Parts: sequence; structure tokens; C-alpha cells
Amino acid sequence: MPLDAYRITSEPYYRSVGHEVALFEAAYAQRLPVMLKGPTGCGKTRFVEHMAWRLKKPLVTVSCHEDMTASDLVGRFLLDATGTVWTDGPLTQAVRHGGICYLDEIVEARQDTTVVIHALTDDRRILPLEKKGELVRAHPDFHLVISYNPGYQSVLKDLKESTKQRFCALDFGYPDPSIETEIVAQEAGVSPSVAHTLVQIARRSRNLRGQGLDEGASTRMLIHAGKLVGAGVSLSDACDVALILPMTDDPDMRDALANAVAACA
Amino acid sequence: MATPRPGFLRVAGEGDDAGVAADVRAAFPGAWLAPWLRAKRKLDGAGYGASVVRAWERASPACARCVGPEPAIDLADGVSAVTIKAGRQAGEALSVAAAGVAARLKDGPRFRNWVSLMQRFAALAPESTPLVLARMDMLLARLTVSALEAWLLAGVRIGGGDSEKRRAFFALETPDAERLLDFEAGEATFFDRERRMRAFLRALYGVAPPIRETPPGRHDGAGRRASFGGGVVRMPPSFPGFRGAQGEAIQRAALAHAGAHLAFSGARFPLGKLKPLQLAVVSLIEDARVEALAMREMPGLLRLWLPFHVAQASGALAAPSLFARLSRALIDPDFEDIDGWVRKGRDLFHAARDRWDDPGISRAIGNLLGNDLGQMRVQFNAKTYVVEPPYRDDNLGLWEIDETEPPDPNSAETVVESVKLSQTEEKPPRQEREDEASDRPSERAAPARAAESEAAVPVARLPEWDYQARRERPDWTTILDAPPRPGPERWLDDLLERRADVAARLAALIGAARVGRADRLKRQAEGETLDLEACIAAAADLRAGITPDPRVYQTTARRRRDLSVSVLLDASQSTADPAPGGGRVIDVERDAVALLARAMDGLGDPFEVTAFHSNGREEVRVTTVKAFDEPFGRAQAARLAGVEPRLSTRLGAALRRAGAGLRGRASHRRLALVVTDGEPSDTDCPDPLYLVEDARHAVHGLAAEGIDCFCVAVGGGAIDRAVLDRVFGRRGHVSIARIEALPETLPLLYMRLTR
Repeated sequence: MPLDAYRITSEPYYRSVGHEVALFEAAYAQRLPVMLKGPTGCGKTRFVEHMAWRLKKPLVTVSCHEDMTASDLVGRFLLDATGTVWTDGPLTQAVRHGGICYLDEIVEARQDTTVVIHALTDDRRILPLEKKGELVRAHPDFHLVISYNPGYQSVLKDLKESTKQRFCALDFGYPDPSIETEIVAQEAGVSPSVAHTLVQIARRSRNLRGQGLDEGASTRMLIHAGKLVGAGVSLSDACDVALILPMTDDPDMRDALANAVAACA
Repeated sequence: MATPRPGFLRVAGEGDDAGVAADVRAAFPGAWLAPWLRAKRKLDGAGYGASVVRAWERASPACARCVGPEPAIDLADGVSAVTIKAGRQAGEALSVAAAGVAARLKDGPRFRNWVSLMQRFAALAPESTPLVLARMDMLLARLTVSALEAWLLAGVRIGGGDSEKRRAFFALETPDAERLLDFEAGEATFFDRERRMRAFLRALYGVAPPIRETPPGRHDGAGRRASFGGGVVRMPPSFPGFRGAQGEAIQRAALAHAGAHLAFSGARFPLGKLKPLQLAVVSLIEDARVEALAMREMPGLLRLWLPFHVAQASGALAAPSLFARLSRALIDPDFEDIDGWVRKGRDLFHAARDRWDDPGISRAIGNLLGNDLGQMRVQFNAKTYVVEPPYRDDNLGLWEIDETEPPDPNSAETVVESVKLSQTEEKPPRQEREDEASDRPSERAAPARAAESEAAVPVARLPEWDYQARRERPDWTTILDAPPRPGPERWLDDLLERRADVAARLAALIGAARVGRADRLKRQAEGETLDLEACIAAAADLRAGITPDPRVYQTTARRRRDLSVSVLLDASQSTADPAPGGGRVIDVERDAVALLARAMDGLGDPFEVTAFHSNGREEVRVTTVKAFDEPFGRAQAARLAGVEPRLSTRLGAALRRAGAGLRGRASHRRLALVVTDGEPSDTDCPDPLYLVEDARHAVHGLAAEGIDCFCVAVGGGAIDRAVLDRVFGRRGHVSIARIEALPETLPLLYMRLTR
């Protein structure tokens, strides 16, 4: 199988916070494209991995970026000793061979890039390869998932209405403190009390969202901090290194966060 | 130390020194006595009066002992100069102060600097010289000589030629004087740290109330406390006795405490028939309760608050001491007090642990304890009582008290703070309403000024550069947001008719400039399609056995305009002058700016247009003609048409304000474009260089942040090119001699500038 390398063999840890697993399975059963919304580091990518494992399908992930063109998704001609050779891009591979294609942070890509998925996301389920003159009909297993962080970019970077309206959306937020504590304790391998303190700290930083910080500390950051604590680093150093310094360069915000950490610990 | 030439000895003569006191002889040994005697004779002969001479006679030996005989003798010249400028009292005060200064500085050159500084100061502010000299010990305890110079110059600048204003400043009667003294002393006040403190408060409790300054005079200096109520937190700028890191810690502790009230105190307690003593005890329990609740979630707060609880478990059984001990007993688990009342309070409080969520327990426990105190006949004086420890607030916000504040003369200060906050921070709508309500009384309290400034609202305080003191003074100018007075609604249509030819030419140019050409980029390492020529070359290379160039793709890239512009229109009185070719300068400027605005709108460049004029540093009026987020249409053009020439040009302040707007723009290029007809000037700046240097400093400051400034000067001969060179640099400005050509040239210039 061409996509074997993309199969996930062991179960990725995922702590369900609602009935998102069931919703995703239902959408997959109907092959409805899914959009995952939510702030960075709240578990979107982990959720997709978990679902790919549950559904036993290969997962092709593409991290979108500003310079990404349609060819980066669909494929392009390359040169070899004999002439030009067509090479499928990641999207085409998933379409041809039946996998879940996950376009991470799709708003980052240029808008003209995103329209190539339009024909795949309605009942046509086709992918025209203009340059090659081929029309690829999607494999029955093919499923498209995108992620999208609404708060993160300016209005300039928003999905086209015609793109948005093709998707079912699941909204992810940071989990409730008790669940988040459980996740941090599990993933970082720290005691629940350390995890609880970290979650309290994260709550403080999330109070500053939009007021000096673009985002508060994500669950992923808390796990990083927790891992450092597990490795013997003091809690305040771990928070400094894993939370405060990566999040902001603003001295006032750093000061406020450092003092909030001191208040929680 | 230089030795006087032998000749002097003989000239001084003998017998003159017969009546010289022993301490003078000791301080001016040998050859130094003669010059001292000559200096004394000179002072005697100048007729300043015996008291001036005597003061110097007394001070000079003390000075000589600390800084050497020569500076002490030369002090006589300083006394002479100061007496001439500022009178006998000042001359006498100089000598008196000099003894203390010499003892403090212990350094000849620095002492001389100080004397010469005082001479200059006596010339600038004679009426205030004795005042300053009388406080010299306190001043130099906090300031170095150069910082003292900066502070003195600041006072002179604030006075702006008004001796009464200067006197008030140097008597430390104005908040400005204290604030600048703190600034020069390098002590950060709360409001210097305000941004991080606000972020701290918000992080802890998720609340963002406006923070104002506690009005001065509400308590005596030592007992100034934080306060909350009406959705506002009031903070004193500093807590006396707490400096440096401690000063910051207590401010943070005070804010964390006030925040705990906001988060946990709930509705205000009814006053009922409670006596002041009971009010105080209930408040104390409530303080402990909200802190306990906050520490449930954030145990680290204990480390913040505990160091300020310093009460000892002994001492008089007076109310203030008992209160401080109870406060400590409630928060400090290791504190043991033998007093029965304190123990009872602690036990009651901890017994109610499970009901801490209920504010009612504060009342219940407080009432019990208050009654006990009554039976113990403990004295309590409500007038002198201040809450201890000092980080705790005055608790007025806990009670249903009619908070009519005394009208406070410095409310201009507070209004700025509040408006600044409400404009820079996006607040949840709930708080916005409270804000407005609490703004109103203080606006009313600035009576005379408000009428003059026609509903102009202070929006920011900006620094200004003093080239003489070589420093930037914070919060020096006040920017007022003056609402536009729209002119005729059809003004834009009329303009387009009047200048139809120019408008048509511009439209064609804009059309050409706007179509973002797609450039084909060949020979790229990555791209959508193969570059055929590169492929052929690569294939040929391969056949020939040569490593081919891997860049065989082509792609297209669209050129984008990415800039934000802030157009500043100088609307000072001088623009009312007639322009050659009819109308006034301002009329031509307005036409030009309108056409420019249409051009920018057509190009899709985000821009704002503001007009500015000023009336002294407290009144830099800025009118927004068009904000970044609105289109340029009839309404905006009408606002432009309503801009009328008035007052003066404080260019630096206007540039800094524009910079603040541009700073938030995420464009590749940010440009402040000034249209002016003259040099910077203002009523309170007699020194023509001052505002020029300030504007230059503002331009440099903006350049350092990646904001370009460009100046279009109209009116040819009226402007000194050297001044523009100085402010904007040689390539940073252009003069348009023919004013009548401005409407056409300005948009063209803009397109060239931004190509």
C-alpha cells in the first residue's frame, strides 16, 4: 500500500472532552469534510491522529504556510535524466489511495491555493490535475480535515466564505480545569498537584488573551512545562522556560506573567 | 589645588586679617587667607548688606573643609551673582545651603557645578531661588547635581514665564513637581509600571478595572492608601517609605488585594447603624476573607502579602495595634498572639472556614469582635485611623457610602489617566458603562479649562525632549482629541468641480498604479510550472554530463502596496495668511490634502488624516479628519473643510501622536506625512530651538521604530531650510514654493514617495 508509512500503529493518547469522537465518526461515515477550530495547542492535531487510529486509516498531514502554492498540495513535474516526471503531492496521494488528508492551519495558505479542495469537498469528490491533464476520482476512504484558528490571525487572513461553507466544524477550546489537569498529569507524567498548579497558571495567562498576549498558555505548553518539572527543574524555572519566554517578548507581560506564576505556586 | 602667586600675599597687606575668626584661619591656612580676605572685601563693598556677607563668612570655612579652600572662596562670586539676580534673601540662602551641599558632595568640581547651576537658576527663576535653596538638602538627598539641573529646568519650562506657576512648582505644591522629582530621582511610580501592573491584575482575577491615581490630600502623606469602588481602583503613585524593589512589591500587593475584593467581595455592605469602630473591624475581617479566598486558588499570594504584616504580639492595647495584630493573626499561620481578643478573632475566622464564600460572615464576626472592643473600652479615633498594613485599601468600596469626592484641582491629571485607559484598552461593555459614569464628575471638576477646550478630551500624555537638559521628560504634553466641526457637506463635490483637471489626471495615474502587476519569476527553485527554457538548458546539461541548474520552475508573484500613512495637517494660525493665487494657505492645504486622500483611497493604502494645533504643552489639540478604519467620503471631506487655523504648531507632540497610531499598523512601511507652513512654535516656548530639537528627537525616535517621517513645507520663503534639515534630515522634506501648485504636487509627490 502506498500510504502505509502514514498509518498510525499505536493509540495516540486523547482525552475526550465531549462527544467530539462520535461526531467525527458520523461525519466520516458520510465523508463530510470536517473543520477543527480552536486555539493553538489545544489538541486539534492530536484529535485527528487519534481518529485516524480509531478509523484505521492513513493520515497525511500538511502544515500550510504563506508560500504554499496549489502545486505543493497537488503535485508537480520534476526533472530526471530522461525528462519530466509527474509526482503526486500529499493531497493527491491521499485522494488516490484513500487516506485522511489533514491540512493544518489552512488560513496560512494563500486563498487561491485553498480553492483546489473545492471539487473534493462537495459530492463530486474529484481532483482535477490541470497540468497533467488528469481527473482523479477520490478513493472511497478519502476524507478531508482542515484546522483553523479563528482568533489567531487578522481579518486579512480568513477563509473564503465558499470554502468555509463546505465543512462541518468541531469547536475546540482549552478543556475544563479538571480535565486539563488530568491531561497534563498523564502526558507530562507529573503528579496531579503539579498539574493542577500548572493549569491554574495557564488560567491566569489566558486572562491576558487579547490584552497583551495573542493567546494564553496552551495545553501543549503546560505539558512541556510539566515534563521539565518531571526532569527535576523547579516549577518557576519550568514556567519561565516553557511558558513565559516562548509566549511573549514584551517585558511588561513577562513581568506580569512571572508574578502570576509566583502567585499560583 | 593651585597655590596663589606670592605677589598676592603682599598685596593683601597686613593688619587686614586681624579680626579673622579662628575657624577661618584654620580652613584657609597660609597663602589662602589673602584671597579669602579679598573676596570678603569685595562682598562688603558691593553693598548686599551685612547678612549676606556674614552668611558667606560663616559658610566658607565649612565648605573649605569639605571641598577645599578655592571653591569655598569662589563661592563668594556665586553669592554675588545670585544676590544680584534674586535678592539678598537668596544670596544668604545660597551660603547657608552651600555648607550642607559641600558636606554632601565632598568634591570640588561637583560643588562648583552646583554653584554655577544655582547662578543660572537665579537668573531663570529669581522668585523661586530661596525656596529651592531652603530645600536643597532634601533635593540632593534624592537627586544628583545633573538630575537636579534637569528638575530645575523642568520647573522653569512648566512655568513658561509665569513666576507664580514656577513658585508653586518649586514649593512642591503641584503634582507635576512631585512626579518629576520621582522621575529624576529614578524612582518608578505606580503609573510608570502601570501596564505590567494592569496585566498582573488581569492575569490574576480576569478583571480590568480602570486604575486612577488616589487624589492627593485625601489623607496626609503617610497614610495614602489604595482604594476601590464604582468599578475603579485608585492607587497612590508610591507608598512613602517603600522604595525600589520594595516599592514595587507593595504596589503589587496592594493591587492583588484590591483585585481580591473585586473578585470576591460582592455587593456593598449596608452601613446600618454601625459605629466607625465596627466598620473598621468588619472591613478587617472582610480583607482577610477575600485574601483567604484568593489564596485558595493562588497560594503563592501569601508570599506577596505576608512580608508587610509586621505587627508584634505585644504592645499597647490600643485599637490600631490590636487591628494590625489581628490582621497578621488571620493571615500568618505561624503568628501566635497572647491577646485574648486577637485569639478569639482568629478562632472565629477559622471556624467559619467552610463559609468563607459568604460575605455575611465578615459582618457577623466583625460585629462580635467590635462589641468586645467596646466592652474592653479600647480607644478608637476614626479620624486618625489608617488601615495597616499599608498595602490594604481604605475599604470605602465595601460600604454603601455616598462617595461624593471633594472637587480636586488636579483632575486634569485623572481625566487623562481614565480616558487614556478607556481608549487604549478594550474593555468588556459592562465596565465601559461604569467608566463613563465615573468620568463625568471629574470632568466637571475641571471647570475653567473644559469650557476653553470645547469638549476636547485628553487622550494621551506624551513625552517631550528638552535639548538643554538632554533628556526626555515623560508625560509632558497633553494631547486633546478635539471633535471635528464639519464644514459644508458638498465641499468634496465642489472641490472636484473646481479642480476637475487635477482630479482627472490623478484618477488616471491612480488607475495605472493600482493594477498590481503580476511579475513572472523565472528560474526558481520552486514554482507552479516548469520554466521551459530552464528545462531545455538543464536537459542539455544532463546529456552533456554536467550537473544541471536545479532552478527549473517559474512562478508569478503579485507586487503589493503595503504601507500605512498618517497625514498630519498643520492648522496653526499662520495658515490663515493669504495665499498667492487667492484664498488662504489653509484653503490650499485642505484642497491638497483632500486630493491626496482620494488618491490614497484609490490606491487602497490605509491612512489617517489629522489636523493639529496647540496652545501650550497642556493643550495639543488633534482633530481626526479620517481614521484608519473609515473610508474617505463626503463626511470625512466635510470634517477636513471644517479645519480652521488657530493657535500654534507643536510639531514634536503631533508626530509622536501619529507614531502611536502607526505603531499598531502591521504594514511593511509606515509613513508620517506632515504638511506644514512653518517652523514649530508654541506659546510657552520662548526658546525657538526647543521645539525644533524636540521635533528632531521625535523624528529620530520614530525612525528607530521603522516609521518614516516626511515633511511637505509650503510657502517657500517663510520657512528656514536649515530648520527642516535639522528636524527631518536633508532628504526628509521638500519645500513647495508655489502654493497654488500644492493640490497637484502633493498627490504626485506621495506616489513618488511610496513607489
